[in-house]
Amino acid sequence: MPTRNAQTWREPPKGLRQGEWIDSRIYSDSEIFEEELSKVWKKCWIAVCHESELPEPYDFRTMTIAREPVIVTRGPDKKVRAFLNVCPHRGNMIEMRPSGSFKEGTPSGNPKHMTCMFHAWQFDMKGNCAYISREKEGYQDRLSRKDVGLRKLKCEVYFGGFVWVCLDDEMDMSVAEWGGQAFDCLQKAVDEEPLEVFHYHKAIIPCNYKLWHDTNSEFYHDYLHYHNRITGFNDEYFARKNSSYDNGHVVVGSFKVRYDQYKGFDSRADVSFPHMEENAWYMIDMFPGINFNLRGSALRCDLMTPLGPNEVMIEFRGLGLKSDTPEQREARIEHHNSIWGPFGRNLHEDLIAVSGQGGAMHEMAEPRRILHGRHENHTIHDEVGMRHFYDTWGKMMNRLPSDPTKPYAPPPDDLELEEPVARTA
Amino acid sequence: MTSDKNAAAVEAVKNTIYRACLNLDQEKWTDWLDLCADDFHYAIKAYSPEIRNDMTYLAGSRDDMANLTEMLPKHNTDRSPLSRHATVYTVDLNDDGTEADAVTSVAIYQTRLDGTSSHVDAGSTHLFVSAKYYDKLRIENGTAKFVERVTRLDTRRLDRGSHWPL
Ligand code: FES
Ligand SMILES: [Fe+2]
Repeated sequence: MPTRNAQTWREPPKGLRQGEWIDSRIYSDSEIFEEELSKVWKKCWIAVCHESELPEPYDFRTMTIAREPVIVTRGPDKKVRAFLNVCPHRGNMIEMRPSGSFKEGTPSGNPKHMTCMFHAWQFDMKGNCAYISREKEGYQDRLSRKDVGLRKLKCEVYFGGFVWVCLDDEMDMSVAEWGGQAFDCLQKAVDEEPLEVFHYHKAIIPCNYKLWHDTNSEFYHDYLHYHNRITGFNDEYFARKNSSYDNGHVVVGSFKVRYDQYKGFDSRADVSFPHMEENAWYMIDMFPGINFNLRGSALRCDLMTPLGPNEVMIEFRGLGLKSDTPEQREARIEHHNSIWGPFGRNLHEDLIAVSGQGGAMHEMAEPRRILHGRHENHTIHDEVGMRHFYDTWGKMMNRLPSDPTKPYAPPPDDLELEEPVARTA
Repeated sequence: MTSDKNAAAVEAVKNTIYRACLNLDQEKWTDWLDLCADDFHYAIKAYSPEIRNDMTYLAGSRDDMANLTEMLPKHNTDRSPLSRHATVYTVDLNDDGTEADAVTSVAIYQTRLDGTSSHVDAGSTHLFVSAKYYDKLRIENGTAKFVERVTRLDTRRLDRGSHWPL
């Protein structure tokens, strides 16, 4: 193939149609990034943590969604609720620790209350303002506690105990409705009995969040992973289904992984999750950046927090069954770590690759065309997952992914973003 | 046991720990494993306040570590070398001086070779992890060998991580 000059390099790739590539500016432009925070991240259900991270009444976790500080608490009624972690008085962040309990008092406040340390306003676990210091002296009868409660956020515990928050009060779907059939392939496996998080670490990577999500939804990049080639790459592997669902979600179907083909590794069958076939492997990619990945014995969940056009924080969790014996738990952790741990075989490789993408398409880089035009009958190396994601993205942003300066337009009908026949994974 | 013998045992322990640092720095995996007894066990652990759990990030026997390092040529890896700055804080010997527990503070720096842009990043050094080594060693004929190492990380933000033991 001949090389290209400046002009032919910029032309749409011959033979591919709109919807089969995107313009790299959607990964690097600051204006598009800010717009995504408000039009996408503040509009969708976002998984923020697992309920086992706040097991007792008065436990809490803090996080951010689209830069908004969020606090999740468990009330004395055991219910999990979410609020903006912002004090209605003068806008201080109420709780600064990542996790803990309000059962004990704090230097500025009483037990069983969220207290803003600044001027000691206090809130109960339902977000009601319970105390204003020197209330009458300062506000006389002009301001009432009932008018300065916290900003409550939509919050659900769903799908194996994950805590989901949506910043948009207008969201009219439950998490179940929003995820729809995408949850089906793992629902029984994660909902049969309570789960528990055994692994947490985070990475801040110099790339756009969508590049990580792409990597989680395209398996063509198994060429990056010796482990996946040697334990997969057979007829059954190449027949794995790639299915797209409403609201931008994608599911990668299962096959039987041959762990024993990798030196030192062995079958995961002894500690399979409930209802999982031996050494099965399903992946659910939820729009816009949540990933559930179950390799037989261990569930991995990636939660993304976009920090800038070319920076994303990824929180990695590993989960097992709460009922695990110490031996079962140890086996799950070993299975998880050997591939997905920070020192595992695959995760390091994935993170290197997306850093390389980030380095090559940073904000000031000239626009490039990023291809996702592979068609293989909606199987594992078909890039339909990314095409589907970007079509949803384009609609929500009203921008054309292949030229983000133009408004959204649907791709040609015969691009088949959804499988024409049955779509259940 | 005489204090001379004690001092010699402590020296042997420190010597093994510091040599292990150099071997790991230079990615001389077999030399590192030569400092480990056959029943050696390795682990990287950390406590996460986020999930309120003690975690294991990597664990395995001597054979597992040998396997892991032997397979490295098959894998894509960040080639940026790591360099350990270690100080052995305490060495506690058992009564007859044949076993020791040692605590070593270690800061591991990474000097970029690869990087987001090697043109810009190569040659720059940054702190990779802050940790402590909790080691158990066996002392025989004046030589100390590792029986167990737990690398306990303070750091839980690991960005690209690594493909080998710390
Ligand atoms: S800002 Fe919170 S009490 Fe004043
Ligand atoms: Fe991967």
